[in-house]
Amino acid sequence: MSVLKAQGLTKVYGSKGKMLYRALNDIHLDIQKGEFVGVMGPSGSGKTTLLNILATIDKPTSGKVEIDGIDPTVLNEKKLALFRRRELGFIFQDFNLLDTLSIKENIILPLVLDKTNIKEIEKRVQQSAELLGISAILDKRTYEVSGGQKQRAAIARAMIHQPAILLADELTGNLDSKAAKDVMDSLRDLNEQMGATIMMVTHDPFAASYCKRIVFIKDGSFFSEIRRGTNRQAFFQQILDSLSVLGGNFDELSTVRN
Amino acid sequence: MNFRQFAIKNVRGNWHQYVAYFLSSVFSVMIFFIYAAFIFHPDVINGHIYMGKGVRTGMMFCEYIIVIFSFFFILYSMSAFLKSRKKEFGLLSLFGMTRGQMRKMVLYESIATSVLAIGAGIALGALFLKLFLMALSEILDLADPIRFLIPGKALLLTAAGFFVLFLIITLFTLFQVGRSQIIDLLKASKKPKSPPLASIWLVLLSVLCLGVGYYMAYTMTLMNAIVYMLPVVGLVVVGTFFLFTQASIIVFRWLQRRKGIYYKQTNLMTIAQLVFKMKDNARILFTVSVMSAVILTASGTFYVFFLASKEQQMDMLPQSISFYEKGLNTHEVIDPDKVRSILKEDKVELNYEVKLVGAEAKLPASGRSAKTTSALIVSEDDYNKYGQELHRGRPILEVDPGHAVYIIPYKEVTSPLTEIGKPLPVKVEGNSSDLTITVDKQVSGGAIAYPRGTATELLVLDNAQYEELIQAVPDDMKTVVYGFEMKNWTAQGDTAAKIEKLVPEDKQNQFDNRVSLYLATKQSMGLTLFIGLFISVLFFIASGSMIYFKLFTELDEDREQFRSLNRIGMTLGEIRRTVTMQIAIIFFVPCVVGIVHTMFAMKALGNLLSTSAMQYSLVVVGIYIVMQSLYFFAARRSYLNRIIQSFTR
Repeated sequence: MSVLKAQGLTKVYGSKGKMLYRALNDIHLDIQKGEFVGVMGPSGSGKTTLLNILATIDKPTSGKVEIDGIDPTVLNEKKLALFRRRELGFIFQDFNLLDTLSIKENIILPLVLDKTNIKEIEKRVQQSAELLGISAILDKRTYEVSGGQKQRAAIARAMIHQPAILLADELTGNLDSKAAKDVMDSLRDLNEQMGATIMMVTHDPFAASYCKRIVFIKDGSFFSEIRRGTNRQAFFQQILDSLSVLGGNFDELSTVRN
Repeated sequence: MNFRQFAIKNVRGNWHQYVAYFLSSVFSVMIFFIYAAFIFHPDVINGHIYMGKGVRTGMMFCEYIIVIFSFFFILYSMSAFLKSRKKEFGLLSLFGMTRGQMRKMVLYESIATSVLAIGAGIALGALFLKLFLMALSEILDLADPIRFLIPGKALLLTAAGFFVLFLIITLFTLFQVGRSQIIDLLKASKKPKSPPLASIWLVLLSVLCLGVGYYMAYTMTLMNAIVYMLPVVGLVVVGTFFLFTQASIIVFRWLQRRKGIYYKQTNLMTIAQLVFKMKDNARILFTVSVMSAVILTASGTFYVFFLASKEQQMDMLPQSISFYEKGLNTHEVIDPDKVRSILKEDKVELNYEVKLVGAEAKLPASGRSAKTTSALIVSEDDYNKYGQELHRGRPILEVDPGHAVYIIPYKEVTSPLTEIGKPLPVKVEGNSSDLTITVDKQVSGGAIAYPRGTATELLVLDNAQYEELIQAVPDDMKTVVYGFEMKNWTAQGDTAAKIEKLVPEDKQNQFDNRVSLYLATKQSMGLTLFIGLFISVLFFIASGSMIYFKLFTELDEDREQFRSLNRIGMTLGEIRRTVTMQIAIIFFVPCVVGIVHTMFAMKALGNLLSTSAMQYSLVVVGIYIVMQSLYFFAARRSYLNRIIQSFTR
């Protein structure tokens, strides 16, 4: 079953008469339920634009997006916000946790906004905290915990309302290698044990090696696609090879880690 | 771009933070200038203007208040600005700007804003001066309005005075600049704020202070006012301080434990953010509460004094034209027929007329140094009849033969002035036979007609006994009290004055005209209110600008938060709701606390003046709430615009 379907996505920046910049060009993407898809590409390749369109906070110039059978472009502001709240889960590079709330309160925010009853809230927060290994820090404040813990809390927030798809944007970008590994392990567990559908945009070949499928884009257009076998190590090498074929500016490429 | 231009660009860049502070400064300069223009007006100095000297003194007093107030207000605002710009300073010193240069920059900036504020203040002042002088002429009832001119001295004093004030404060605040480490400055905004802690003991202390303070205010009387006054103020101020710094946190913590409330949609965000900001907000809220209490109490007091003096005049002069005469037909003061004909001539209608005939009696006094007291003997019927004319709800007196009710005009005197419940020997003037009468009770504040001279106190007797007694008194020994209550009396000043002119010089003390008395108090009260109004408005605007500034220093942080909340699916409606709730709380909580304080202050004032000051002051409170709401809506609007603007990038 297809959870996310993008057809012929094109995004053009710039107004009439001025120089036009084509950030995305005819992108097709189909993500099935339970998939773990990575999107990779050099800086300026249009990854973030793609993610923003799929996240419904930007609109394509042409093309069509369908998430769980709904076309978000036809929704008004309020419905769109509610759609994001119920159908999408977000994980950001800089966590976007609120300092004013405790870890637990941050996690339950989507449920609270959606008037879920308290028992249900408590149950779900315990479940996801256990899965992500953050039960011990639930009552701490955001600045009392490490980056990896923050990102895992953000993952918990992104999935607590059981969205149709999780969208992650460079989620290991602000983490050291140990924390990045922990976070990616958690994400894998989520995908494998809970059957969560995940789409992740990243630079980092190590993080990407957790995906089951990777789509490479370059200059806004589809470039190539690779699928993982059973061996992550081999997949990692395959990613590095693809990136070197892709070329472009990968100066942010992190050191190889394992 | 040279250095000076750089500094001025900074002011422009921080404009939305400056604006409320700037407008408040402009307003104080404007008011100062307008008052100064009056004080140095040549016609006022030469004494050509009626009441000019008194008004001038009042305004000078106000000028001192403005200067003292402006000093603290500007000092507070300036240092708050510098604090909010820590990060900017950190960045500048990272680029190698020396401490001296930074100070120079701040100096340039504040010179630029102060020159602008002084210029704008004087310009606006000059613009409104004409209007101010016209209004003042109207209140003073001047035939020729005060000339419009701008005295050079006023201009100089305002410009130089405020420039020096701004400069001194800037020099003060310059010490703060460049003292911290760069790293601290850069991290200043990112430094996590620890969640505030509160002690239950301090909360109890706060409740205790407020409770005792309120109780003392509530029970304040003329006797203990001197002793109570300062402790009440002290207790309430201390109580308010801990209310905001401690009790607020306990309340929010309690709310956070109530998951049913806390985990309900936007409440989570609203309460969490309020708790988090409480530490910073508490002082502002405290200051603003105390300021609103001061504004409200001061304006309320003026207003209540005005109304109370009207009420007191109504009590002491039940009819608008009142006089008393010795002798039934002597008409030594004025012939009542003459009064009637003048009223007819001027087409002034009467509500009712009083003619109270009585005999002077002497009876033993108690509770004062004099051995005997004199009172006018009147009949039960007369008393009840005129009493009902005056006020329908007044209880009807019933007196048995041989008994009497003693009436005194003073509301605040409750101790008996003669012995109650004991047969007393009463001597009636013009009647040789002595009476023995038992006074059943004393009515305080029970005057029904001109309580002056022999008629100050009344002795109400049974009808038959009164008839018998008054028959025996010769006509020229009787005392007659006349009263004419005109319809729409406050507007009949001319007629009342016409009548008063006919009263012979030596009988003036037997005649009173409430209209002129009322108009005189109204004028002086109107004047006080008019002058005081600007000071109140100044305080009000300044206290609002403190909240406004606080709100906008947190804007950037909040904007980021709401932006990411919008990304994860918080609707604009929900964001509006939580922002509105938060702004409403910081605008209206101090307002409510200030109003409660004021209510107790008014209760105390009411006790002292024996009027219902609390009800009267509701007018002032109402105006204040309306103004605060306007401020709130304006602040909310511009804040929300800035938050939501950022979503669309």
